[in-house]
Amino acid sequence: MTIESGAPSRSLRDTLVSPAGRLRLLGLGRIWQQLNAEARWGVVILALILLLSVFVPLLSPSDPYEFVDLPLQPPGATYPFGTDHLGRDLLVRVFAAARLDILLAILGVSVPIVIGTFIGTLAGTTRNRIAETLWDGLVNALTAFPEIILVLGIVAMVEGGVRGLLIAIWISRWAQYARIARAKSLALREAEFVQTAHVLGYSQLRILVRHIMPNVFSEALAYALSDFIFIIVIIGGLSFLGLGVRPPTPEWGAMLAEGRLYLRTEPWLILFPGFFLSLTAIGVALLARGLEQISKGEEG
Amino acid sequence: MRSERATARSGNRDLERDQDRQPSQSGDGGHANIPPPTSHFSSFSPRFYAGTLRLLRHPVTRRLAQAVLVAFLLMVFAFLLVRLIPGDPAMILLGDVATEEDLIAYRKLLGIDGPLHSQFGRYISNVARGDFGLSIRSREPVLSIIGKRLPVSLWLTATTIFMTVVLALPLGVAAALYRRTWFGHVFQIVASVFVATPVFFSGLLLILLFAVQVSLAPIAGYYPGFPANLYSLWLPALTINCVLVPVLARILQSSIIETSSEEFVEAAIIRGTQGWRFYWRYLLRPSLAPTIAALGYFAATVVSYAVIIEIIFNLPGVGMTLVDAVRNRDYPLVQGIVFLSGLLVVGLTFTADLVNGWLDPRAKMR
Repeated sequence: MTIESGAPSRSLRDTLVSPAGRLRLLGLGRIWQQLNAEARWGVVILALILLLSVFVPLLSPSDPYEFVDLPLQPPGATYPFGTDHLGRDLLVRVFAAARLDILLAILGVSVPIVIGTFIGTLAGTTRNRIAETLWDGLVNALTAFPEIILVLGIVAMVEGGVRGLLIAIWISRWAQYARIARAKSLALREAEFVQTAHVLGYSQLRILVRHIMPNVFSEALAYALSDFIFIIVIIGGLSFLGLGVRPPTPEWGAMLAEGRLYLRTEPWLILFPGFFLSLTAIGVALLARGLEQISKGEEG
Repeated sequence: MRSERATARSGNRDLERDQDRQPSQSGDGGHANIPPPTSHFSSFSPRFYAGTLRLLRHPVTRRLAQAVLVAFLLMVFAFLLVRLIPGDPAMILLGDVATEEDLIAYRKLLGIDGPLHSQFGRYISNVARGDFGLSIRSREPVLSIIGKRLPVSLWLTATTIFMTVVLALPLGVAAALYRRTWFGHVFQIVASVFVATPVFFSGLLLILLFAVQVSLAPIAGYYPGFPANLYSLWLPALTINCVLVPVLARILQSSIIETSSEEFVEAAIIRGTQGWRFYWRYLLRPSLAPTIAALGYFAATVVSYAVIIEIIFNLPGVGMTLVDAVRNRDYPLVQGIVFLSGLLVVGLTFTADLVNGWLDPRAKMR
């Protein structure tokens, strides 16, 4: 991106406007056109699941906790997904679970991303070597724990249930964001738009908050998509083990654990919750991959 | 004068060894600019300092130092795990009916009596001696419980890694060579689907397929002993590989594509290198480094998934012990397993880095 290439004013703007600024300049309506096939499929799948999770429990006559019919009815006209081992409508339960799981996963992602980005950006501004070594060790140590085992360890200490699960996820997941934020903010200190801000005489704090943080944040958001998959799997996994969301509440992992006992004779009890859990994860994965390819294509 | 400085810098042992070998040196002092011909290990020669410095700056040493620091911090985390429980752990375990003596005994059992710094000192010296305390439930040493359950988990890991290598290598190579054909496109789609499917769902599906429909594996349970245990381990290993193989095959694919545009590959083609020699030496071996590094990184993931897998397939390994311990609030057992599994991952990552440096001369360890 040299100034001599083609239109001088545009390339100068490209250099001086930060990536986050460029994203803001892009209209929302044009985003769809910018997406590639993979990202579009991801958006379609996620939109479908979100719509279903909002409208199925809303429009359905039965309640996710209500015993509507005989237990273990196979899928049919009245109950498209059949009924579970207590005679509850599986369709309503699957989509009520979608609401809870997606909400919990969003909660699980959003707190570490803020904490991690903040800590990482702060760490990226120190130049003390001892602090850096200690910092590396700390983050490496936290990420060295096998994820589920660390979450299990924290769940054992805090009491189980949704609250314990979220606390465990928050404690164990911020380090990755801090790592990304630190690396990015180290690189950004030398970036042209930061130098420009320095030349303009802006204060350190303003540069940190207004110019470095937003750009670090966009990087962290890209990672957050893949983290979302991981967290929704952890929530499902721990509930599957009986240590997260507890059974009467509709949750995909807990439903899989219940349905597992009827695997031999009534396999649809696991097929429907498992399918929609996987579909959600696949949708997010497609979106993440598509966005990654777009950003690579633009830079490369 | 020089010898004093040398003592101060490199310690007594070096000096003594040096004096044994070359007594004449210590008297008039070998000047720094005249390296004695035979004294490669001499603490007086500048070459020794350079050597020590090089050793200290050597990537392997630095990486090792980093691993030791991480291991120490793991220990601190494991120590804090029990101390950060809101409230009194002994009270939580015993309930309201506990007498004061019971509480004191339990605090002693958990190692949470006395001031914090002495607790930490005791904890470190215990861990260094391999003492992780007693399980609250069975009053058995934590280490012996883990030792009893470990073989199952190790067999599961070994079977998984073996299966990963057998499946991921050919898939990755094929995906790289045929990436523009239908195979490449199907591979991309199938890989995305498999990676995103949680193991506790794919595990149940595989049980449905291979154990219920065709009985090629037991639905659950474990048969000890070498050839017999493979019968109960291949399905759990396959389940973990549903996630692992696509990821690794993809990494291998992209690194083979990268390697194939290198000049030495072109040169080999021009020289007429063919067959296995070409594929292994010029294409596969230089491309393996990122895959091995990723395998080291995914060690943590494998160990994590193994916990859920052991529950689904009812394998009596460390993972099942951990879940039981969490349910029973057996704090020392949880603490021990969390720390040791972290240590295992640090060791595996370090090993992967070493193998990496050997496989690919281009890869410089940072």
